[in-house]
Amino acid sequence: MFREFEYAGPATRGEVHEILSRRGGEAKLLAGGTDLLVNIRAGVARPALVIDVKKVTAFHGTRWDAKTGLVIGAAVTINELLADPIVNERFPLLAECARDLASYQIRNRATVVGNVVNASPCSDMAPALLCLGARAVISSKRGEREIPFERFFQGVKKTVLLEDELLERIVVPASSAGARGSYRKLKRINGHDLGIVGVALFRKDGKIRLGISSSAPTPVLVEGLAEGDDESRVVAAARAAISPIDDLRCSREYREFMVEVFVKRLLREVK
Amino acid sequence: MRIAITVNGRAYARDVEPHWTLLRFLREDLGLTGTKEGCGAGECGACTVILDGKTVNSCMVLAVEADGARVETVEGEAREGRLSEIQQAFDRHHAVQCGFCTGGMIMSVRDLLVRNPKPTVDEIKAGIEGNFCRCTGYQQIVEAVLDASGQGWGDGALKVVGAAASPGAVAPSSAAAGAEGRLQHA
Repeated sequence: MFREFEYAGPATRGEVHEILSRRGGEAKLLAGGTDLLVNIRAGVARPALVIDVKKVTAFHGTRWDAKTGLVIGAAVTINELLADPIVNERFPLLAECARDLASYQIRNRATVVGNVVNASPCSDMAPALLCLGARAVISSKRGEREIPFERFFQGVKKTVLLEDELLERIVVPASSAGARGSYRKLKRINGHDLGIVGVALFRKDGKIRLGISSSAPTPVLVEGLAEGDDESRVVAAARAAISPIDDLRCSREYREFMVEVFVKRLLREVK
Repeated sequence: MRIAITVNGRAYARDVEPHWTLLRFLREDLGLTGTKEGCGAGECGACTVILDGKTVNSCMVLAVEADGARVETVEGEAREGRLSEIQQAFDRHHAVQCGFCTGGMIMSVRDLLVRNPKPTVDEIKAGIEGNFCRCTGYQQIVEAVLDASGQGWGDGALKVVGAAASPGAVAPSSAAAGAEGRLQHA
C-alpha cells in the first residue's frame, strides 16, 4: 500500500528550485511516475514530499535549432518524443530506443528525463543518449550546469545530482544529427520486460560508438573506435567496457555473450 | 486535496489524499470497479484507463495528477444499456474468459481504433502489448478487434491460431488460411 506523502504541484521553474532548496533531501520529483510510484508502493522510495514537475510549462516540449541541437524538457514523454518529426528524421537511433521502451501506456506517461535520471543500469534511453553525445542540463536555485551523460551516471541508481538540483533538460548536439545507428535489446517479451542487455551502435564521420545497458553498474559508452576497425577490435572494446553480473534474468556469461552477438550484428546491419 | 475530474462524461469534485492513485479513486471513491488492479507496477495493464485522450496505467497516476482531466473507463463503453461495438465483438468471439483483463484491454482497444481504425493483426498485437490476459485468450481478443474494426469474422467463429501477420493473409471464411495457421472449429 502507498505510504502517505505531501504533494506539491508548482507552476514555475523558480518554485521548483525554491522547494528543492528547502526540502530536496526529503523530496522526490514526479514526472511520469512510472518508476517513482512503483518504488513508493514497494517501500523503496519513502519521500515526505512529492514534487510534480508537469505543471511547469517550460519543462514541456522538444525544440530543435541547428546550432544547439535537440532540446528535450523534463516533462517530455516517450510518446511525445516519438511524435516529433525532427527526432525521427535526424535522430533515428533515439527514436528506435524510445520505441523499445516498455508498453504503449507507459510510453504515454514515462519521460525521457525520468528514464535516465534514475540511473538504472537498464535504462533504454541511455545507450542512444551516450552515443549521441547528449548532455544533461542540471539546474537549481544556485544556477545551471551542464554535464555529458558519460559523467552523469555514478553507479547503480546514483548520479551527480545534488539534493537541490533537477535534470531540467537534455541537449542532443546538432553535430550528431543524421548519424546512422540502431539498438538491439534482449528481452523475453515485448512490452513488459526490463532489458537483459541493450546495445546501441552509432556511426558518423568515420567514428563508431557503442552505448551498452544492463551490462555494468551504469549504462556505458564505448568510444575511440573508427570505421575500418575490424570486428574483433570493436568486440574487444565492448567486452572491456562492461562488467555484467549474474541475476535472476540471466548469467554474467550470457550477458557477455549477447553483447558480443549484438555488436557483431549491428556492425553488419548498420551501414 | 480537492480535485475536479470528469469521468465518463460526468463531472465530479472530490477530496482525495495525495497518495491515492487514480485507480484507487475510481474504484473506492466513485465505485467504478470495472478497472482492476493487477500488478500495481505498470506491467499487466488491467488498470488501463484513457486520461485526456491517452491510455495510462491508472495504478501509476496519482488522483491529484488527474485534477482537471477527462477520464474514460470501461463503464463508459455501454450506452443506454447497450454494449459498445467493441464489447459486442468481445462477447461474440469469447474474448472474455475470467474477465479480469477485459476492462483495461477494452480501453487499449478503444484507443487503438481511434488511432488506427483498421489495424492489422501485428498492429493489434502491438496495441495491446501493455495488457496481459493471463487466461492467454489473445487469439480471441485479436479476432474480436478485427471484427470490431469491420475486418471480418462477424459470425464470432474461431478461425485460425498462430496465423500470418496480416488479416489479408487470413481471409475470413477461407479454408486456405489453414495452410499457414492451424484451423480450429469454424
